[in-house]
Formats: sequence, C-alpha cells, structure tokens
Amino acid sequence: MNALLEQFLSESRDFLQGIGEKLMQLESDPESIPFLTELFRFIHTLKGNSGLFDFPEMTRVLHASEDLMDAVRHGRVHYSQTLTDQLLDAMDFVGILMDEIESTGRIGSSHASSSAKLTKSLRDLLAQASAPVDAPASELHGISNIDHPSVDQVLEEFAAVEVTPETGALPSLDAPHAFDLSEEVAMALFSHASQGTPVFWVTYHPEPDCFFKGEDPFYLVRQVPEVLWSDCILQAVPALLIDMDVYSSQLIFQLLTCASQETLDDIFRYVPDQVQRVEIPALTFVVPRGSASDNANDEEFISRTLAMLRDGELERAAHSLHTMLELSASDLWSSSVLRWVLAMIEFAPHNTPAQCALLEALLTHENPDLTLLAHTAPAPVVTALTAELASVEEAITPENVAALDDTSAPTASVAPSNTDALMPCFYTVLHAQKTVLTAPASAWLKGRLKSVASTLIAVHRAMNKLDEIAHIQNALDAALANNAPEPLLTWLEQTLAHQASREEVSDQAKPVSVLSDQVSVEDITPDAPALQHAQVALESSVEPAKSVQRPEESTPHFGRRADDVAVSTSKTLKVDQEKIDRLMNLIGEMVVAKNALPYLANRAETVFGVRDLSREIKAQYAVINRVAEEMQDTIMQVRMMPVSFIFQRFPRMVRDISRKLGKEVELVLEGESTEADKNIIEALSDPLIHIVRNSLDHGLETPQERMAAGKNAAGKLLIRATQESDRVVIEIIDDGRGINPYIIKQKAYEKGLIDESVLERISDEEAVNLVFAAGFSTAEVISDLSGRGVGMDVVRSAVERINGTVGIQSEVGKGTRLFLSLPLSMAVTNVMIIESNQQIFGVSMDMVVETVRVPRAQMSSIKQKQTTVLRGRIVPLLSLNDLLALPFAQQPNEDDEFATLVVRVHGEHVGIIVDDFRETVDIILKPMTGILGGLGGFSGAALLGDGSVLMVLNPRELI
Amino acid sequence: MGIEYKKSLAVLTEFVGVEEAENLLEWLLKNPKGKINLASCVHIHAANLQVLMAVKPTISAWPADENLQHWLSVLKK
Amino acid sequence: MANIMAKTIFLIDDSATMLMSVKSTLEMAGFKVETAEDGVKAMAKLNTGLKPDLIITDINMPNMGGIELIKKVRALPGFRFTPILTLTTESQQGRRDEGKQAGATGWLVKPVGGADLLKVIKQVLPGV
Repeated sequence: MNALLEQFLSESRDFLQGIGEKLMQLESDPESIPFLTELFRFIHTLKGNSGLFDFPEMTRVLHASEDLMDAVRHGRVHYSQTLTDQLLDAMDFVGILMDEIESTGRIGSSHASSSAKLTKSLRDLLAQASAPVDAPASELHGISNIDHPSVDQVLEEFAAVEVTPETGALPSLDAPHAFDLSEEVAMALFSHASQGTPVFWVTYHPEPDCFFKGEDPFYLVRQVPEVLWSDCILQAVPALLIDMDVYSSQLIFQLLTCASQETLDDIFRYVPDQVQRVEIPALTFVVPRGSASDNANDEEFISRTLAMLRDGELERAAHSLHTMLELSASDLWSSSVLRWVLAMIEFAPHNTPAQCALLEALLTHENPDLTLLAHTAPAPVVTALTAELASVEEAITPENVAALDDTSAPTASVAPSNTDALMPCFYTVLHAQKTVLTAPASAWLKGRLKSVASTLIAVHRAMNKLDEIAHIQNALDAALANNAPEPLLTWLEQTLAHQASREEVSDQAKPVSVLSDQVSVEDITPDAPALQHAQVALESSVEPAKSVQRPEESTPHFGRRADDVAVSTSKTLKVDQEKIDRLMNLIGEMVVAKNALPYLANRAETVFGVRDLSREIKAQYAVINRVAEEMQDTIMQVRMMPVSFIFQRFPRMVRDISRKLGKEVELVLEGESTEADKNIIEALSDPLIHIVRNSLDHGLETPQERMAAGKNAAGKLLIRATQESDRVVIEIIDDGRGINPYIIKQKAYEKGLIDESVLERISDEEAVNLVFAAGFSTAEVISDLSGRGVGMDVVRSAVERINGTVGIQSEVGKGTRLFLSLPLSMAVTNVMIIESNQQIFGVSMDMVVETVRVPRAQMSSIKQKQTTVLRGRIVPLLSLNDLLALPFAQQPNEDDEFATLVVRVHGEHVGIIVDDFRETVDIILKPMTGILGGLGGFSGAALLGDGSVLMVLNPRELI
Repeated sequence: MGIEYKKSLAVLTEFVGVEEAENLLEWLLKNPKGKINLASCVHIHAANLQVLMAVKPTISAWPADENLQHWLSVLKK
Repeated sequence: MANIMAKTIFLIDDSATMLMSVKSTLEMAGFKVETAEDGVKAMAKLNTGLKPDLIITDINMPNMGGIELIKKVRALPGFRFTPILTLTTESQQGRRDEGKQAGATGWLVKPVGGADLLKVIKQVLPGV
C-alpha cells in the first residue's frame, strides 16, 4: 500500500470519527452553525480526498452526503433524525469500505449496489426536503440563458470601444476587412473555416483590477494557439501620462484563431465573463480587396464562367478563372475577386450560389454580402464563455486531462516501476533534444543548452539511469565553455546510437509514441511557449535533490514524502505503535544496562582495588541514570492517550442501543482528556463497552417503568474519567433500577458460588460485587445485547490483567455506580522482592497491603488452614513454597517470626509466608511468552540490574 | 529577468514582472527619448505592455521571441 | 545546475492526505513546496518571511478558511500580485467566485490530477 493511501486511510478514520461525534452533538443541538459547518467540512474533505483514488463506490456516497449536508447547512433541508440515521449509515458504509481497502487494497464489486442504494436514499432525502431544489444543472442552465448575445450585439459592443483611427474600421460582418487581414491570411482562415475548423474571433476585456488577483491577461492571451490575427487596444490613456495608473488594466485583446472551442474555454476558464468568443462563418473572410480599375469587365467571360459554376463544371471554371487572372494585374480588386472564386472552388466547391454571387460582383463593382449564402457553414454562434464552462469542467477528469497534457507530463509522472514501458517515450525525448540542439544557432544557445541538459538529466533521473547524469553534466559544461552544442550533441548521438544497436538486436519494432507527434521540429523553436514551459518545468525539476528517486527504494518517492509531510505540516506525528514499543523495549534494556554500572563500580573497588575509577563510574552513572529516567518518562508520555479514544464511540453506541431497546438515555461524558498508557486504554475498551451495554440493558428502565417510578422518562448515564494520583478511575453511573443484593445473594447461592455461611454474613455491598464472580450472570432475560453467557467476570479479569480493580455500588431504585481503577501506566511496575527457598521473586506492590512478621506462636490452624489475627481480623496464611509446589518449609528468622506478605486478592486479605523481604524496585515487566506464557501464577519476568532474571508472582492466580 | 536601465536605454530581459511597470513608466517619463531593447525578452506582464502602449517609446530591438514580437506589433503602429 | 531557480509554491489545506498528494506532485515537477494546515498558520508563515511565487489554498479549513486568507494575503505588503489558486470541489461554483472576488487568480478542482495541476500552474506563473 502506498504512503498516500495509508495517509488517506488513517486521516479518514479520524474524519469518520469526527463526523460521528458531530452528528451526535447535532442531535442535541440541531441548529448549531459551528457543528454544521464542521460536519460539512469533515464530509467535504473526506470526499475530496477519496477522489484522489479510484474508489467510486465511496466517493459517490460521500458526494451525496456532502450535498445533503450542504443543503442542511444552508437551511434548505431541515435536520432530522432520519437524516442523522442516513448519514450514520453512509459513514458506516464508508468505514467498511476503508477496512476493505486496508486489507485488500481495493473495494470489492459487491459494494456497488449498497453504494447506489445509499446514494439514492441520501439524494431522496435531499429532494424531498427541498422541493424546489436548485440542482447544479439548473444553475448552469440559468447562466447559459442569460445574455446570449447575437453577433451584432457583440460587434456593437466592440464598436463602442474607443479605437484609434490607425487601427482601421470596426469589424463587422458587412466589412470583414476591418480585421485588417491580408488576402493570404484571409484565405488561410477561409480554408480553415470552410473545411470544418471553426475560426473564432475572441475579444478579451480584462477587468481593471485583474492585476490584483495575480492575473497577467497578456500572458493568458498569449497562450491561445494558432492565432492568425491579433490586436491589442489600450482604452483611455489619461491626458497626462504621469496620471496613468499602470495597475489598472485598460487593455482589450482581440484575436482570430483556429484553436478549438475547448482550448479557448480552457485557457479563459477563470475569466469567462471577460471573454467573448464568436465563431466566424467562413464566407465572412471572403472579401476581395485591391485597387479599383476602370477597365470594363469582360461580361462574356463572366456569364460563361457563371454558367460553368452553375453546371458544376468546376474544373473548367477554374481553368477559365486562371486564364483571366493571368491577363490582369494582380493588385486589382477584380483580380482579388477571381482569386477568391478560385479559393471557393477549392475549399467550398458545393456553395454554388456564393461562388456565383462573388463572380457577379465583378458586374456591380461592390463586395457582395455572402454571409446570407452560407451553404454549409453554421450560423454564427456567439457564446459568453460562461455558458459552456461548466460542461467543459465536467469533462475535465484527470484521465482526459492527462491525455491532453503537454510534453512535461511523461517526465513528471514516471512511476519507477514501469520504466520499461516508457523507454519509447524516453528515446523520443532524446530525439527531440537532438532536434533542439541541431536547430540554427541563435542568441538563445546558452539557455537552450542548459534546458536540453536539464531535460536530459530529468529524464535520466526519472528512468533511474543515474550514472549517465554526470556525463550529461560534463557535456553541458564543455558545451557552455565552447558556446557550441557539439559536446552535448556528441553525447546524445552516442546514446541514441547505442539504443539503435540494441533495438536491432531485439529486432522489435519500436512503438510509435504519441509524444513524437507533439514534439515536432516546429514546436521546438524558442517561441513555442508550450515546449518552452515544459522545458523550464523540467529544468526546475532538477534542482530539489530530495525529490529524486533512488533505485534502491521500492517506493522511494512516497516514502520520503510521508516523512516530509508529517514534519512540515503537523505538530502531531502519527507513529506506528511498533516503533514506540521498540523504543519502550530499548529503554527497558537501557535501564537494565545502566543498573549494571553500580555493580561495576563496586567491582572496580573491591575486586580491582581502583577506587578513583569506581568513583568516576558512579559519577557517570548518576548522569546516565538521570538521562535514562527522563527518557523513560518521555517515552511513557508518548504512549499516553486520552480516554476520549474510547469514550468517543459511546454516543453512537448508546444511541443505537437505546433505540433498539426502546429506552431514552441521556449520555454525559466527563473527563475525556484524562490520559493513560495506550495499552491500558486499549485494554479498557472492551470491558467498558460491556459495562455500558449492561447498564443500558439491565440498569436503565423503559420510559414507562421510569415514569411509573416517578423518574424522568429519559435515563441518565454518566461516564466519567478522573485521575487519582497514579491511577485513572473510570465510573459508569446510571440512575436506573439498581441491583437488588437479595437476588444476587440468592443466585450466587443457587449457583454454588457462595455457601450458606457466606450468604448469611455477607454485606449488601459485598453481595452486589458478586456479579463479578466467575459464572455469574444477572440477566433475567437473555437479550440481544448482553448476557450472552459473558458476564461481568470477564470484565473483572480483563481489568485485573492490567493491574486494575473493579467495584460496584448500587441502591435499589436509585441507580448503580460501577468503577474501575487502573494504573496510569503499566510500563514500569514497582515490585517488592521477596526471598523463598533461596530464590528471589517479585510481587507487585499494587497488591501488597502490608508486610508483617508473624511469630509462630500467633499462628493457628482452623480447619487445617493456617491463620493468624491481624488488627482483629482473621487472615488466612499460605506458604509460598506450598503455592509453588516446592517441597520445603518456610524459614523463620532468629526470633522465630515468619515473614508474611499480606496481599489483597478479590477484596480479601491473604497472608503469604515467605523466607524474607528485600528491597522494592522499579522494573519493566515483560509478560512471559512461548512455553512460559502458559505458566500460571506469574504475571511476567523482568531483568535486574545485575542481569539476573526476576520472576514476578501473580498472587491472584497462585491462590 | 527584469529591466536593466542604462543611460537612455532600458533593456528588458526574459520575464518582466508586474512590479516593474511603475518604474518603467517613471523611467520613460524621465527619459522621453529613452529606448527600449526587447531582444532577449520573452514576456512582459500586461501592466508593462500598457505602459509601452501608452508611452510608445522607440523600440531599439524587437524580441527574438516571435510570438511576443507578433503581439507587440501594436507598438509599431 | 546553479542557475535554476525553483519556484516556491505555498500549499494550504487542512487535510494531510491532500497536502501529501499535491505536494508530491509539485515537488516531482521541481517546485519548492511549503505547507500549512489552515489560514492562521499560513499567515504566520507569510508574516515571517515566506515569499512564495504561488499560493494554493483550500477553502474550507478550521480557524481561518481560504477566502479570509486570500483577503488577508492581498493586504500584506508584497503580495498584491501573487497568483493565488483555490482548491475547490466541482460542487463549489459559488466558493470559486467568492474566491475570485476576494482576489484569487483561479481555482483547481479536487481531486487535482498531476497534469491538470501543472497545466494550470503554467497558465498563472509566467516562466514556468
């Protein structure tokens, strides 16, 4: 998967999350403009991004959602629950597509119909709610209908323009010579126009403040290709030039071009309102000109030729006309008429009336109005460019733009993987460069040499032929030094010769590349702007070395970009969790390695007797210790995540579940910014969801029940996170029916979880906490949502796995409070080291209530179990050696006292007898993997500073 | 790039940007006989074009760039 | 090649995906590219000496959107004539006009294909 797609998926998930949140917030405040704006922006951006890839199923749905939200945002559609439902469905669908893209890299065809269905329902919503929809189509229609000027109107407007006398008469269709065209140009235009290439008259009147929009109208107009006639008019020059405002555009550009309508619309696409384009009928150009003569016209010749024209005997007519032409002076108006008739025979052979009318003009001595005789030429069409712009833009898809694109594209878009396919293009570029070099020398030579060289370098780079670049550079230097193209030319010829010989060997016809057509010799002259630009673009592409592809990188370009973007665009960095984990492990090793230094210092002094060295090592250790601790701390910080990561999914979940259950729930989230280690947060996710589901399912009542009990119809569910010293406490509080301890006790007893004695003495609170006991399920009805045999015991064990505790308080009829207490971080564990049977073990300090030394005398046996009384409470005593199945008795100290570790297990205090206590240390606990992973009784292992391994006990499992 | 003002000659080279227009007008007003050399000019911003059209100075060298020369033929009138 | 002056393009979009996509296209074509995620950050960069040859900005952004940014940029000394393109979607005809009104030179339609992008840039940046 490429980096862009990865970035897209990761960013899109954030957007989906954001969209979900905003929809939830809107539900409570549907009028909120900021929410609506934000929501629209999310969907809008998501849609825009999806368009970068070929995921039509996704884009379509997002597009419909965007349109819908846009309508909502502008008050055209009213917010409703159905709308939220639809949008949520749509976003879920998009989420599914993302998952699929992530795992398979594409979207399966099976989604097409769901996509269409979703799109339709979104569109329906849009159509229903806003009866008179002003869909984009109608908007466009509106534009095209306004002001559809006729040719005359355009020309009238043109006439209104101040024209200096020298420019000549105004162009009008009656007097097309006003275009000031020579007969050659006019004939060229006529031949174009009559052979199906429309000729457009374009007038471009830039708005006065266009310079302040970064526009250069002159540059724009110069991009029009195939201009056969052009003019530029400066309106109103102030009497005193010093008053001239050079930054207020007073220019009007006019031109005649054979460029296609699409090309023109494209060039002027940002200024359609300032441009008018008229298609000039071919016959408009037919204007004989020349000096008048008194010579009487040969009427016989005229009538004879007319007859030939009418009979369609064009060849004979042409012959006759040629003969006549030879007899007349060429600068005469009458000769011009003859030439035009000949031109018409050639280019418009079927328009007999026009041919005749023109020839008959010789009798009247007046230029005829041929425009009425337009035979095949289309009626003049004037269009404000605006009208067609929209359709043009619709047609601009990336693909067909690419097809239209200029010469720079091949280099710009070479993907490293398919250089082979591009070899023909590559050589075409080389050939083109050769043509450039062999063009006649001019003042442009230096620039030409440089641009050729940079083009060559760019294409070689793109083709991964990096070793050639130095040669090109050398050739360029030589060429520049001699001010002659030969060195470069020599290099180029060698390369091409090499290619030719290779091709002979391969004996395969080289595919003719499209490019070779584009880069004609003509285009390479310095004034062909397109190529010029292309080359400059290529030239500049040489400079930033960082965009250069390296052969050894498989996806070199994007990999690099990914980093760039992250660094330069965002203060937040998304990092693969593996990297953080690796960092974590490394710092763990570092801490261990660092802890070896005091041992070393000790040895330096005691074993080798170098006291000074020992001191220096200790000093050094202090520094390393400080840095390592800070590093450890920082890495922990990196791993911290806000609980909102889990909380954010609750609004949607609560909404869905409560609707399904027919309950009304008001969800309140508090302390979402409270942070904890990523592992904690992630491990917390499932238990919390389970708890919330339970609350909704069993805790909160239906509106009817609630009303009957005198409560609000809507139940309240509060989820709150708070930090208490080094722990995070999460509470889930509902004001539902509460838990009846009596029922719990009974059930627990029935299921054999407690015996009679317990049943009698257990407090209500303790009873309620029995829901966490394994095999307990309170569900009276097995509902769809919870209670599928998975009880709260699963929650408890999940929480305990991350050294958390869980508890519950409840009052019948009032509600339930469930709380989880979790460590902020599980990266570093504070353990107490204990000794037993000459081995050391660790026990998490979280579990240790106290350490006591119990004299043998105070130990007593109850029902074969060792117990003692601590602070008036009977505490069962267990021997660690027994728990570990070691066949040794625990060793008391000299005073015959047993070292006893009192731990809290499931709310009960238990004493574990060990041989001795040692110090407490911070360790990085690693869970055991492999064969050891299945070993019960241990929560993991850690390395100590001297390199020894400490096994950390898990008393819960041991007992 | 830009305009180099000599004693009585302004040499416009390559791309002459919009910012130059004010100075160009000022120079032309100060040097009514100042000439313009466009030989190695590739493009002038429209603002410069309208300055040249308004002042109509003598062009001592026309651009080698044929397309530009073609468009600037209005200055010959 | 010492004399090659790469043009600098300042790209502003709140979507990292869009930034990455457009930036890489531009860099492949040899432009220097600076980026910012919203109008406020963009103004901060322009106020501290960034002088791009072309600005390409998204319209819909948090904190400060594209239209407001364009107005602010035009008011900055030295940016009267800088070409500015907006990044829009095909449905945003209105926003394009608004952008032009505020002083934008033109617009690009998302998704911006490489060829289209370079073509438009050539149209608005003489000498490219």
